[in-house]
Amino acid sequence: MISSDETTAEVTEASASHSPLAEFGRGVRHALGYPAWVVGFSLVGVGSLAHDVGHPLAAAVLSTILVWAGPGQVIFYGGLAAGATLPALALAVSLSSTRLLPMTVSLLPLLRRSGQGLGQQFFLAHYVAVTVWMESQRRLPRLPAHARLPYFLGFANACLAVSAVMTGVGYVLAGALPLPLVAGLLFLSPLYFSVSIIAGARLPADWLAFGFGLLVAPVAARWIAGGFDLMATGLVGGTAAYLAGHLRSRRGSA
Amino acid sequence: MTFDLSALQGDLWPYALLILVGFLPSEIWRWLAVFLSRGLHEGSQILVWVRAVATALLAGVVARLVFSPSGALAAVPLALRCAALAGGLAAFWLGRRSVFAGIFAGEVLLVAAAWAYGAS
Repeated sequence: MISSDETTAEVTEASASHSPLAEFGRGVRHALGYPAWVVGFSLVGVGSLAHDVGHPLAAAVLSTILVWAGPGQVIFYGGLAAGATLPALALAVSLSSTRLLPMTVSLLPLLRRSGQGLGQQFFLAHYVAVTVWMESQRRLPRLPAHARLPYFLGFANACLAVSAVMTGVGYVLAGALPLPLVAGLLFLSPLYFSVSIIAGARLPADWLAFGFGLLVAPVAARWIAGGFDLMATGLVGGTAAYLAGHLRSRRGSA
Repeated sequence: MTFDLSALQGDLWPYALLILVGFLPSEIWRWLAVFLSRGLHEGSQILVWVRAVATALLAGVVARLVFSPSGALAAVPLALRCAALAGGLAAFWLGRRSVFAGIFAGEVLLVAAAWAYGAS
């Protein structure tokens, strides 16, 4: 079983090695431990949705490789099925992917190297999605600087590859899965997000942000229209958590 | 969209849709982040805040998926969806902080509840 203690052992093992290829391979192995499968299984449903709107298998698989944001893909195919207008659908997809902005902003500094061009940063940014972000926040800070980039690429590419295949599996299996299992697949994302956030929380602000977000979200969903409720939840819940965490640590040190 | 998309109708239509309506609207946030993250350093206070915003946003996604789900998950009563989530978190603690144990327990509870509540 995978526990945080094992992560520490993995990281100690990693710092002994210096070969980029070895770090890449370690990233792949750790992804295949379970995170790649979790995100992969959560995208099975996207394949089924793509099948139902009559898109080709290749487009379904490509949606995972290009969009690489499960909720956005669900909205994309769900909206097509419901006959939404294209500008409205593009806006809905975009608003559902707002989280990618703060996630990418907080991840890129961990991967920065001198002489890193814009092209490489755009390339690295594309891999950012919930799973990759959460696991990287937990694992990268403990790796030596030289190991981070190859480890990240191995980890993220393994997640992406497994997910692309699982999207295709979902496409082929569309309609054939029993409903309780489909419910289980739909439940995978919120369950995994919750457990991983708790596992990866480093500061009081991280904990509080999760709790505040859960509390603010239903209120925002009720009062803020047009899909902007998620953005509001992030800003209000996150800022409140940051301030509360800041006050706590100041009182602790005083 | 102001330009004529109908020229792309046909075999390429799903791919054009995917790029214009799926890929670009999502990717734009990642591109914007490349510029906004310039000059920010690991461990700076502003990154602690940015991470808190990202975490709260993610909690918002969790709340939406659990409190107002779509499809087969909606057939499971709200109380049982919450119970499965709580059970997963409890298993994470009891299983010596094992993420895998938490996911496994939560999934077993949810699928069992879906079976019991006739999501078939």
